[in-house]
Amino acid sequence: MAEAPREASLWQHLRHLAWPELRHQPWRNLTALLAVVLGVALAFSVHLINESALSEFSAAVRGVNGQADFELRAQREGFDEALYDQVSHHPGIALASPVVDIETLAMVDGQRVPVRVLGLDALVAPQLNPDLLPRPDPGADRLALLQPDAAFPNDSARQQLGLPGVPGDTPPTLALQQGLETVPLRVQGRVGLGGEPVVVMDIAGAQERFGWLGRLSRIEVRLQPGADRAQILGALALPPGVRAVDPEEAAQRVSNLSRAYRVNLTVLALVALFTGSFLVFSVLSLSVARRTAQFALLGVLGLSARERLRLVLAESALLGLAGSLLGLGLGTALADAALRLLAGDLGGGYFPGVTPTLRFSPWAALLYGSLGVGAALVGGWLPARMAQGLAPAQALKGLGGHGGDAHRPWAGPALLGLGGLLALSPPVGGMPLGAYLSVACLLLGGIACVPAGVAWLLGAAAGARQARWLQRHPLVLLATARARHQRHTATIAVAGVVASLALSVALTVMVSSFRHAVVDWLDTVLPADLYVRSSVSAASDNVFLPPALVQAVTQLPGVARLETQRVVHLQLDPAQPSVTLLARPLPDPARDLPLVAMPLPPLPGEVNVYVSEAMASVYGAGPGTTLTLPLVPGRPPEQVQVRGVWRDYARQSGSIMMAAADFERLTGDDRANDLALWLQPGATAAEVQAGIREAVRRSGGGEAAEALLEFSSPGEIRAISLRIFDRSFAVTYWLQAVAIAIGLFGVAASFSAQVLARRKEFGLLTHLGLTRRQILALVAGEGAVWSATGALLGWALGLAVSVVLVKVVNPQSFHWTMDLAPPWPRLALLCLMVLAAGTLTAWLSAWRVGAKDAAKSVKEDW
Amino acid sequence: MLTLTDVTKRYGTHTLFSGLSLQVEPGEFVALVGESGMGKSTLLNCMAGLDTLDAGEVSIDGTPISRLPEDAQARFRRRHLGFIFQAFHVLPHLSVADNVALPLLLLGEPDAERVAQALAAVGLAALGPRLPQTLSGGQLQRVAIARALVHRPRLILADEPTGNLDPSTAGQVMDVLVGQVHRHRAACVLVTHSRSAAARADRVLRLTPRGIEAGPSTADPAAPAHG
Repeated sequence: MAEAPREASLWQHLRHLAWPELRHQPWRNLTALLAVVLGVALAFSVHLINESALSEFSAAVRGVNGQADFELRAQREGFDEALYDQVSHHPGIALASPVVDIETLAMVDGQRVPVRVLGLDALVAPQLNPDLLPRPDPGADRLALLQPDAAFPNDSARQQLGLPGVPGDTPPTLALQQGLETVPLRVQGRVGLGGEPVVVMDIAGAQERFGWLGRLSRIEVRLQPGADRAQILGALALPPGVRAVDPEEAAQRVSNLSRAYRVNLTVLALVALFTGSFLVFSVLSLSVARRTAQFALLGVLGLSARERLRLVLAESALLGLAGSLLGLGLGTALADAALRLLAGDLGGGYFPGVTPTLRFSPWAALLYGSLGVGAALVGGWLPARMAQGLAPAQALKGLGGHGGDAHRPWAGPALLGLGGLLALSPPVGGMPLGAYLSVACLLLGGIACVPAGVAWLLGAAAGARQARWLQRHPLVLLATARARHQRHTATIAVAGVVASLALSVALTVMVSSFRHAVVDWLDTVLPADLYVRSSVSAASDNVFLPPALVQAVTQLPGVARLETQRVVHLQLDPAQPSVTLLARPLPDPARDLPLVAMPLPPLPGEVNVYVSEAMASVYGAGPGTTLTLPLVPGRPPEQVQVRGVWRDYARQSGSIMMAAADFERLTGDDRANDLALWLQPGATAAEVQAGIREAVRRSGGGEAAEALLEFSSPGEIRAISLRIFDRSFAVTYWLQAVAIAIGLFGVAASFSAQVLARRKEFGLLTHLGLTRRQILALVAGEGAVWSATGALLGWALGLAVSVVLVKVVNPQSFHWTMDLAPPWPRLALLCLMVLAAGTLTAWLSAWRVGAKDAAKSVKEDW
Repeated sequence: MLTLTDVTKRYGTHTLFSGLSLQVEPGEFVALVGESGMGKSTLLNCMAGLDTLDAGEVSIDGTPISRLPEDAQARFRRRHLGFIFQAFHVLPHLSVADNVALPLLLLGEPDAERVAQALAAVGLAALGPRLPQTLSGGQLQRVAIARALVHRPRLILADEPTGNLDPSTAGQVMDVLVGQVHRHRAACVLVTHSRSAAARADRVLRLTPRGIEAGPSTADPAAPAHG
């Protein structure tokens, strides 16, 4: 009986057919591999850094809260401590730990260092979290933990505050800010709490020294086993403005606040992987083109179309797998280095004071590794289809042989249309997922339109008049005829350029529009000549300018006018970060605020407020709505009327602007955090600054208090703001450079391979009398035509993508809008650079093949 | 017309041929035969200025093409030489007519009528607008012949033009080639392994390690009876 013929496995095909090709073109394949490695590494490292920082931050938050079942917290800072007696005596409550939680500044060698003070009952709090147990230093009083001026910093605070690791004979002292005064504390030991810098002290001492007498920040509660939380809360009848929140909600708030930033950073990092898949596409397409004769022969010898498809797909999968494995390794190393050097803050400033350790996640590694393999497979799909569709007989005769044009003319416009529709979709879970998909569809659709674009651009050359002109310019005729005939090759050559240029244009327009908007915004929000702030992190009840000082500054010579601003934080939704309430004089909101649209007229007899865009989108507080604000702890919340929406690029979580007079009337709080000063003609900022320092000294604040003041001119604030802005977006410039480099490499790889594949054509032209210079001009001309097509399409596509980024992604992610402000000269320069680089790359590719070498190729079989 | 004087070509230490001399008269059809590896195609390239000589000189109509700069060689080829290859070498993205018109276009002398005449002369008058993919091997070689002659060159260099064709088609192609060469009064050097093709030449030369010798041996294993 005849034995069934054995078929070679895919592995054998890879070994015998693909491996020699890889060895033959190691550098080209290595570059595609590198693109996948970089893409996976960037995306995975960003993920690891963010997750590590978030985990560390959450752990720190959980550490402070301990093992409480819930905590009672005011919507504004503090509530009456009488509630503690009621809570601690409830039979269903096993443990209640009162806490005064103060964010303030420590003075260290004239510098202000942010620090968090926790006033605790040292006998209760450690029962919820043993890390909060104050441990006196050797030689310190064993009962120091009960002394009102004893401070117990954690290791992080010790490091930040420059405290000695080993206690000396005299306990070091800390100077913490309270208003414009400093509170001295003696360091008597330490606590084992991890995370941000924290100083633990006795709760009574904290209340007395930081102006919290009779008030608490929160009460952490542990219930008796089996106790019903709802029933207990009902029985407690919490006063207005006090809520029971789960400890996890604090971590959730941080997660929510930083989520948009983290997701956008991850998407930005995935851009590298996206362009990487184009490089895989270019390299494999050219590899297939170069191996046309080989595939044709194998086809004749019995390798089926399906097997050719599987072979090329297997090659791309192997490339993706190797790239992903290396990328995961590199990404882990990058994340580790970044966590050591940048402490987990990638420019967003969402994880202050956290020094996380790397948390490797095998599931995330699997996900990002799969993305790498997926990107390579996507890149390899069309080349694989090209190999599958090969017509062996034609190909063996050297007459092309790629069976028909696999391009579907409707695919490009359909994807563009889908992209447009997706851009209109609402956010999903607060994230612009539809917009991200829209960007992907626009890019893919634009690239799918390349063949039609080439045909359209070259169609102009097909007319009778143009044909006569072409007859007299044979090089142009050859270049255009080939470009028209080989449209799919044009797609391969310019796909990378289209993708990378589109992304670069989109990022450039987005960053430029944002920067332009920030500059305009700064011009509106900084009308005064000089600004005085009580601290850099203004919103705290412990960092303010006393009314007496404000009064003294008003009367200083050189001061024409003074406006105060009070900044307080309100917790409107336990699941959301707190919003900022700003109170300042508002005689003409339309002039004084950067409003998005004309405001509604103020309602007489009502408290009129103007909210930021984040308030409007997160809390639905549009013009004409009513907001309920817990302005005073223990008192019923106030109803205020929203009359307009303004742009606030400084506070992503939302802000509310209220007239200072209304705020003072409702709260009785006449303190200020910031002063805006208009100077009299002839007065200098330096003279006024000196006057204010003198006023502080006279008020008894001394030199330490002087150091707590910060003076800035609008120019300085603008310069600092823009410097921070530019630093935050520096990563996008690097990504643009990487994307452009990858795109140009795609062009280089494409032209190199095409020049090699066209050696016989050049050989023929050499025989027919074309000089080497003319052949170089021919290839450079083709390079110019294709690069110009790619640049034009990439430019148009980039503008479309930028509209989605500016008008959809930004408002949905960060809740701020801006006008589109494309930097036309820079965009034109970008396109010209790509055009020049593409042309030069093509010229160099042809230059490598000498005319005489080409002449000999007419005798080559392969 | 074509004069080779003491032509020598080496590849490293290996001498391919040495001291070759040859004279081809205007309108003369010369066949060059010999075993594979003797350097027939290299000699053809040297005649066209496409390969460098280590010694000696090649001149065409008194122009020492081997001594010209590269660009001048290219311009000389463009005006005075025509080529036919074993593998046809037509550009797949140009129509048949555009392929034939290429030499005229490169000379800056587009002439649709002459292209039509050239196509008619090789029996492909109706195929001008078609793309090469739709033509048979014999038809493609006829396109190549039309292209080689359309600009009326002084010398045709043909490198195994029937090597890829069956004997019958090869015979037809040779008929066209010989007829057109004689009609245009061009000289032609034909490199071939085909005895029947060589038999159509005015003179047959054999390239051997000793140099160029007159006439092929009937016992030459490199000269098949057909094709």
